[in-house]
Amino acid sequence: MPLKNTNIVSAAQTKFGKLEGVTLREMFAEAVDKATTQAGVPKEDIQAAFIGTFIPEMLVHQGHTAPLLLDYAGMRGLPATRHEAACASGATALRAAIMAIESGLYDTVLVAGAEKMTSVSTNRATEALAAAADDEFESGIGLTFPGVFAIAAVAHMQEYGTTEEDMALVAVKAHKNASTNPLAQFQKEITLEKALTPRYIAWPLKLFDCSPISDGAAALVLTSNEKAKQYTDTPVRIIGTGQASASMNLCDRTVLTSFEASVKASRIAYDMAGLGPKDMDFAVVHDCFTIAEIIATEDLGLFEPGEGARAVREGVTALDGDMPVNPMGGLKAVGHPVGATGVKQAVVVYRELIGEAGPNQVPRHDTAIMHNFGGTGATCVVNIMRRADA
Amino acid sequence: MSGRPSLEQYKKNIEARDFKAYKCAKCGAVIAPPVGVCYSCGGTQMEWTGVSGKGKLVSYTVIHVAPEQFQDEAPYYIGIVELEEGTRITVRLTGLDPQRPAEVKIGMPMVLDYDTGKSGRTYLAFRPA
Repeated sequence: MPLKNTNIVSAAQTKFGKLEGVTLREMFAEAVDKATTQAGVPKEDIQAAFIGTFIPEMLVHQGHTAPLLLDYAGMRGLPATRHEAACASGATALRAAIMAIESGLYDTVLVAGAEKMTSVSTNRATEALAAAADDEFESGIGLTFPGVFAIAAVAHMQEYGTTEEDMALVAVKAHKNASTNPLAQFQKEITLEKALTPRYIAWPLKLFDCSPISDGAAALVLTSNEKAKQYTDTPVRIIGTGQASASMNLCDRTVLTSFEASVKASRIAYDMAGLGPKDMDFAVVHDCFTIAEIIATEDLGLFEPGEGARAVREGVTALDGDMPVNPMGGLKAVGHPVGATGVKQAVVVYRELIGEAGPNQVPRHDTAIMHNFGGTGATCVVNIMRRADA
Repeated sequence: MSGRPSLEQYKKNIEARDFKAYKCAKCGAVIAPPVGVCYSCGGTQMEWTGVSGKGKLVSYTVIHVAPEQFQDEAPYYIGIVELEEGTRITVRLTGLDPQRPAEVKIGMPMVLDYDTGKSGRTYLAFRPA
């Protein structure tokens, strides 16, 4: 049965990138202020907060972030809980908020995510990110995150004939879409030749196959049907949600050309919504690496296994294609402040669905799917959203 | 090797170049890396077992940019090997040219090896058979 009562009524993000001199709490407060006061939702209406941050303990030496961040944003006193699931932290916070509204416990809640990553060295940030993999058996022997996705890429290449050029085309598309997104970290198009620059991070993944290290925050207000019309004429309903986990270690997976948690979470979400991949107008997927986007589009059933690369080559996933994927530029070019990412993906879906994505507007925008992925794929959250008047 | 298997001893065995896997006492499934519960039968009693050391390559990468503690060893291969006994394990790969990764083929037969890195740590490794 589709979810019945959860609406997004406002959504905002800060600029993503290297935000010099802006702290975690300041970027959080900026996103929250944009999604509440500036969007016509009084902060007094918010009853609880669900907050995604990944690893501020290592990045800015700060734990217990939920009350701290909420206090700085002027909402001291509300129930505030931090949700952590590596790169899926934001979407697990969103899912908890969905459950809270569907249960009837609250009418109106805040969902927000933030990460400050550039105040430490790249080595320190890499070390912090590696904590999202199994420290005993994989990251502990020198397997990095690009390495994890490189192993999946090699399996996909040898099984399906996917090429380094196919992956580079995902990067070219991401940069093209982000070139008209003022909130993106990279607003510059890149050529295929540049995307193929052989600066290997983890063969076959090169510099331009990888999402960057970023700062940024994003926020949403969710509310019940009864309250939604107070805030907007175009609420966006969340009609299906799914979450699944998988082994942390890649070696414990039977298949490496697909991420089983993505398959499971998406089937749960589709079943709940009573819809299938063909009903989706566009998709926002977790493209932490270019190969991750190709595999995600297959795991969500948008394309057959092994056909994701062809869809990129043929322009199907372009902004003006039949199935636009990451129309604002994705993690790859907009940036990937880990705890903010899952919330930012919902911000993108919301803006596209209500028709306010400016030059990045997709032509058909009634129904869409978002896919947020944690670490090695050990957590995946998928949500299906539809404009309430669609 | 006697006594109840532990993660600490599992790692010490690798360091001593004497790899041992876990074996489910109930159904005999060979398990590595260790998990708390046997996914074949649900058993929680584990024993040590030796392995044949034969396997095949499932997938691989060459790490060029590594965390600080491993950077002196880069570029290095990491791969997943499926042991003859059925379990899969993430290991270092030896005996392959890091500049020619495209020549390595999934499915190729591999044998157990060890690799001592510049850090002085000994890694469980496999090399082409």
